Amino acid sequence: MTDSPSETTELDAFAGEFAAKIGAERWTADHGTVHVYVDREHWLTAAIAARDEGELDFFSWLSAVDWSREVAVGEPAEDVDNLEERYEVLCRLSSSTNSDAVILATVLDKEEARLDSLTPVYAGAAWHERETAEMFGIDFPGHPNLINLYLPEAFEGHPLRKSFALGAREVKPWPGHVDVEDMPSTENIEAGEGS
Amino acid sequence: MTQLDSRGIVEVSDGGVSVELKGEAMTLNIGPQHPSTHGVLRLVAEVDGERISKLDPAIGYMHRGKEKLSEVRTYPQITALINRIDWVSGFANEVAFIRAVEKLTGIEPTERAQMIRLILTELTRISNHLVFASSYPLELGAATPLMWAFREREHIMDVIESVTGGRFHPNFNRVGGVKPAAGGGKTQKKVSLDLPSGFYASVENAMDKAELACDELDELVTGNEMIQIRTKDVGIISYEDAVAYGISGPNARASGVPTDLRKLEPDVLPYAGLDFDVITRENGDSFDRYLVRIAEIRESIKIVRQAVNSVPAGPLQAKVPRVLKVPAGSIYVRAENPKGEMGYYIVSQGGRVPYRVKIRSASFSNISIMSKVAVGQLIPDLVATMGSLDFVLGDVDR
Repeated sequence: MTDSPSETTELDAFAGEFAAKIGAERWTADHGTVHVYVDREHWLTAAIAARDEGELDFFSWLSAVDWSREVAVGEPAEDVDNLEERYEVLCRLSSSTNSDAVILATVLDKEEARLDSLTPVYAGAAWHERETAEMFGIDFPGHPNLINLYLPEAFEGHPLRKSFALGAREVKPWPGHVDVEDMPSTENIEAGEGS
Repeated sequence: MTQLDSRGIVEVSDGGVSVELKGEAMTLNIGPQHPSTHGVLRLVAEVDGERISKLDPAIGYMHRGKEKLSEVRTYPQITALINRIDWVSGFANEVAFIRAVEKLTGIEPTERAQMIRLILTELTRISNHLVFASSYPLELGAATPLMWAFREREHIMDVIESVTGGRFHPNFNRVGGVKPAAGGGKTQKKVSLDLPSGFYASVENAMDKAELACDELDELVTGNEMIQIRTKDVGIISYEDAVAYGISGPNARASGVPTDLRKLEPDVLPYAGLDFDVITRENGDSFDRYLVRIAEIRESIKIVRQAVNSVPAGPLQAKVPRVLKVPAGSIYVRAENPKGEMGYYIVSQGGRVPYRVKIRSASFSNISIMSKVAVGQLIPDLVATMGSLDFVLGDVDR
């Protein structure tokens, strides 16, 4: 469902108010999803403020996005040559009693991939941070037990980095010759005809 | 208890002497191949006698790397991947993803498709909860409920199969709507493009049978004294712990958390016009988690009965481009999966393939609390607690 104008304004107002509460300056509210950006230094204090002032008690998830110029699999980012290489760490928090929710976001330099652990604030962050640490190679100082969650200890590399090759695609490139690569047209079709 | 002296000897009130032996901690490995772990979960428990002093769940034996695989697949191809995340409720996994893609592209699904999605989601919920309510007593030592509830669940599976063509992995959602029903062979290819004939009657029949299953489970399990002794006050999770650990769905509602995404996210599926209650309980123990699910089956039956009478006429799918390109942007959409909050965070760069898909699955967060709840429990209670959390390893590892 596309947002009607009134909904968008309401969401904008909520995002602005929430950002003020946790001392953040930059926020977006597109597609019904609120992102509030904080500096890496304020990551922990912002999370505490989000829990106490913002009343977002429910910890939903924490993960990262790798913005990389080197892409081993998948489609590269838009304007990849001028891309600023970085990790974006995202943490979704919501309320257990109403529909308030934000994604707390911060940007990390690739050389300094370290971020305070949120485990002391939200106990549920422990596993999510372990996953993010092994999959992206981001360190979380303050985490009580930052060992691999999925991967064996001897595993080399960080699988969700864009530079990490996907074995299946190395062996067999994609799209193959039976794929939907060149379709006759991009015009709209009626329901049911396309199958 | 009075303080032990260095030899482990304690004076008791009647003047006698009692000896408390302090055992040596032993490490007990449970799983990954163990019937009570629902698949391939490994638990490393440190036990002092029968009592657990430390528990480390080791996951990852079912990790299939779906987030990475999604980065090399087009959006329509990804639905085939994600309905295998939680294989007991395949259809429900697809809903949040397909709604996220629809919101990013601005394609509005048809009303008929939305209502069919809603009905199938609720059927999936009943089926999931019946699997739980019947396999949980099995873990506690009662084998009969499994046979009884699975017999009635089969009617629901038949309905899902008749509509989608698949029992477990429907892969039925398309951007803008749902897939026209499969024909039964070459000659029928163009004949049955909508809901199969006899659909409404078979849904009514399946709901009657599901209600029967609930009644039977109530008689056989809910009032059973042994089941109650095994589950009451076992594995208590407080409201505060539930929300801090990100526990969602029936597990959270058993602890009094009132979150139900069917109410909180009204634009995912059209639940707004339907009359149903959010089931919550206060104690947060294993028995409450069982009771919440049985009550939710009854609520879902109520929803399905209302919904089948209000399926609007119209096309199954909106107009969509043949090659689906999703505008750049990022979005998170969550929906009430039978096991809790199932959500997808999608980052698109404007192409046919997402740049990043983060899958938020319910079971992952739900079992992360095991290492806290299990401390101090007896080993049989650990099995009772674990079973009551109703997780699926595919949903944990993704």
